[in-house]
Amino acid sequence: MEKYLNTPIKEVITQFPQIADILNGYNIGCVPCNVGSCLLKDIVEIHNLSIEQEQKLLAKIAEAIYLGKKVAIPQIKRKPSLKAGQLKYSPPIKKLVDEHVLIKRWIALVPEVIKNLDLESEEGKQIIINGLDFIRSYADKFHHAKEEEILFQYFDKNLDIIKTMLVDHETGRSHVRTIVEALQKNDKSAISEHLNGYKDLLTEHIKKEDEILYPWMERNLSIRQVGELFNKFNAADQKIGEVVPQRCEKFIKSLEEMMLSENQKEQKLQKKKEAIK
Amino acid sequence: MMDGCPGSKMQDFREKEAKGDDSGKRQSQLRQWPIQLHLVSPMAPYYQKADVLLSADCVAYTAGDFHKDYLKGKSIAIACPKLDEGQDEYVQKLQSLIDDANINTLTVMIMQVPCCGGLVAMAQQAAQQAKRKIPIKSVVLSLQGDILSEEWVS
Repeated sequence: MEKYLNTPIKEVITQFPQIADILNGYNIGCVPCNVGSCLLKDIVEIHNLSIEQEQKLLAKIAEAIYLGKKVAIPQIKRKPSLKAGQLKYSPPIKKLVDEHVLIKRWIALVPEVIKNLDLESEEGKQIIINGLDFIRSYADKFHHAKEEEILFQYFDKNLDIIKTMLVDHETGRSHVRTIVEALQKNDKSAISEHLNGYKDLLTEHIKKEDEILYPWMERNLSIRQVGELFNKFNAADQKIGEVVPQRCEKFIKSLEEMMLSENQKEQKLQKKKEAIK
Repeated sequence: MMDGCPGSKMQDFREKEAKGDDSGKRQSQLRQWPIQLHLVSPMAPYYQKADVLLSADCVAYTAGDFHKDYLKGKSIAIACPKLDEGQDEYVQKLQSLIDDANINTLTVMIMQVPCCGGLVAMAQQAAQQAKRKIPIKSVVLSLQGDILSEEWVS
């Protein structure tokens, strides 16, 4: 059993595909991860199941691997500072979770932005330019920089979960670069494809951070480190100043209003069409 | 039926089964004197940039591993929000710990009895009045010494 606990999740699932369903049954959403290099034991530890649930999960995995042969079920080492399942963020981590809210508002607007994509008018192009500014200034420089330059420095950079998050950040940046190039070429299809790619990437990325990475980090941070992070995050925010986050929030708010009125116009038009019929 | 004040209601725990390991000797983790909130000075060197534990008086007698689990690595102040006088001074001192001693974090450890909640309220009032912001954690202990809750309150 130890051998498989120390094997990357992707390899384990490739060898024993039924383990994917077992993990999904415990809301462990690592199965579709595109990196899949986290060790099975780290995945079990990081999800902070109760001892009973963890033992049941490992027994099912052992059953799938050893096909009914009796094997000893080990207990995964962990730091239980909170009861299993409880999600209580410390002030610095809560700051990051709160920043996710504005990013999620942008992500929620992406399908509408794609639907109304208009590269013929200056106003239409400006929406994409402002969207790219939001991703670069808020999601990346304001938010991801706090993770990369401050938070992740408190953890081993070689941990697979950290590597996975950094790969996600880089993939997001690559989507942005492609959208910039596509905008210069007026390539509507490439813009749509990469905006959608960014939306899917960040949706999964934020879910992983809010539900798995941050709670695991909380369990491993000392109180001294929590205080240090709080100070460093505040200093980082002060360095950037209030203008950038205010500008980005204003953009999201105005885009939400614009998309709402576009939807209302569309609904009115639809009603008129139905009335004519 | 009226049960009286939960903070002073008589309860007998003598029948409790003794658990844990009595072998070995633990060193005290206290690294300062004085500790009573009226007596301490926020300007004392051991408070500078420290992680501070503000503990209700009864806590240390209740938590079996108080030194090892809660006091270690922290500077401390103790108080009783029910019986102590001059609690306005307490708020001022806590504010001074935040603003002048630049403490890193404040952990407020209290008993589950309702009167103990006043200590958390004092810490929150001091935090509201302070210019600096710091993380404040509240830890509530049962009369049997178990942790009932641990949450960030600021």
